[in-house]
Amino acid sequence: MPLFEYGFFGAGSALLVALAVGFAFGWFLERSGMGSANKLAGQFYLRDLTVFKVMFSAIVTAMLGVFWLGWSGALDISRIYVPETFIAPQLVGGVIFGVGFAIAGLCPGTSCVSAATGRIDGLAVILGMFAGILLTGLAFSRLAVFYESTSRGVFTLPELLGVSYGLVVLGIVVLAVAGFHGAGWIESRTNRNA
Amino acid sequence: MRNAERSRRVHRILAAIALGLGSLAVVAGSPRRETNARIDVEQLARIVESEDDHVTALELAEWIKEGRPNLRIVDVRDSASYESYHLPRAERIALRELSTARFGKSETIVLYSDGGAHAAQGWVFLRALGFERVYFLRGGVLEWLDEVMNPVVSEAIADSAKADRAAEISRYFGGVPRSSASVPADATPVRRRGC
Repeated sequence: MPLFEYGFFGAGSALLVALAVGFAFGWFLERSGMGSANKLAGQFYLRDLTVFKVMFSAIVTAMLGVFWLGWSGALDISRIYVPETFIAPQLVGGVIFGVGFAIAGLCPGTSCVSAATGRIDGLAVILGMFAGILLTGLAFSRLAVFYESTSRGVFTLPELLGVSYGLVVLGIVVLAVAGFHGAGWIESRTNRNA
Repeated sequence: MRNAERSRRVHRILAAIALGLGSLAVVAGSPRRETNARIDVEQLARIVESEDDHVTALELAEWIKEGRPNLRIVDVRDSASYESYHLPRAERIALRELSTARFGKSETIVLYSDGGAHAAQGWVFLRALGFERVYFLRGGVLEWLDEVMNPVVSEAIADSAKADRAAEISRYFGGVPRSSASVPADATPVRRRGC
């Protein structure tokens, strides 16, 4: 059960909970070294795949948690918001995001962590991000048609592939474990050659 | 070096846990509680109009008597009512719990309440959740008591074989069939409170 939707706490307490979750999120990002643009950029040169490992660990942890909480009845999965798919705009957005990530060495979350630890580049990325948001907002009337094009609605992997939820869970865990193994191998190869 | 060794071991254990939980997920079934079900209103309306949504007390009694396979009889009333009287082989599942109760797709589910209204509503819920073989007892426990446990079996009925059958079913369930001769003509069938 999503606690807020079921009215376990009101809007005020929800903000406090969000603050606590935000602190924890930032803390673990920094602890895993993700506040460092140097480390993040290492991802694109295949010498440090920490980002991949951290992200995939988080995905696997959350996925197993959601699955088993849903299975035990503690969590109502149907109440979790699944974003809609818009193929073309999301492809273009992904490319812009990726280019920005490679140039800055930071993504939105890590830029905040980076800025909070006093790194100037983190602050610069945050300013750039807000500038981008402002520009997009101002030009939105021209972008709206594209923004809403190629809509595919809401779907999840089990629905798309037509297989059971559990099978997708296992598939992603196997993919992650193989990925971690492969990442270690790629890192040692790159660093040996360097 | 020692640390690297230890962290590698931790990684291996975590990977094994993740793989274990992932493998179990394949056989665990759906993590979804389908409480936000959808219904095809037109289809259900057609079923209701053709009267394929309910069974009569006598039909249900025959099903129980002949040991119809995969039959689940579900009492949706409160536990006090269930304790004081319930149909043979009935289990109690409150309306609120219908969405999480585990039913098989091949099971024939018959819902009943005191009168029939709550069971009919439960019928809509279960149909919405995708169960096809769902029925409700039309007149509920009241009909069961009137038609099966205390039926008035009239010798004047044209179809006397039918009357005999009703009396036989009643006796099977320990009921007391009354002949119309012993009942005053203006006697109303036994009715109890409830909905």
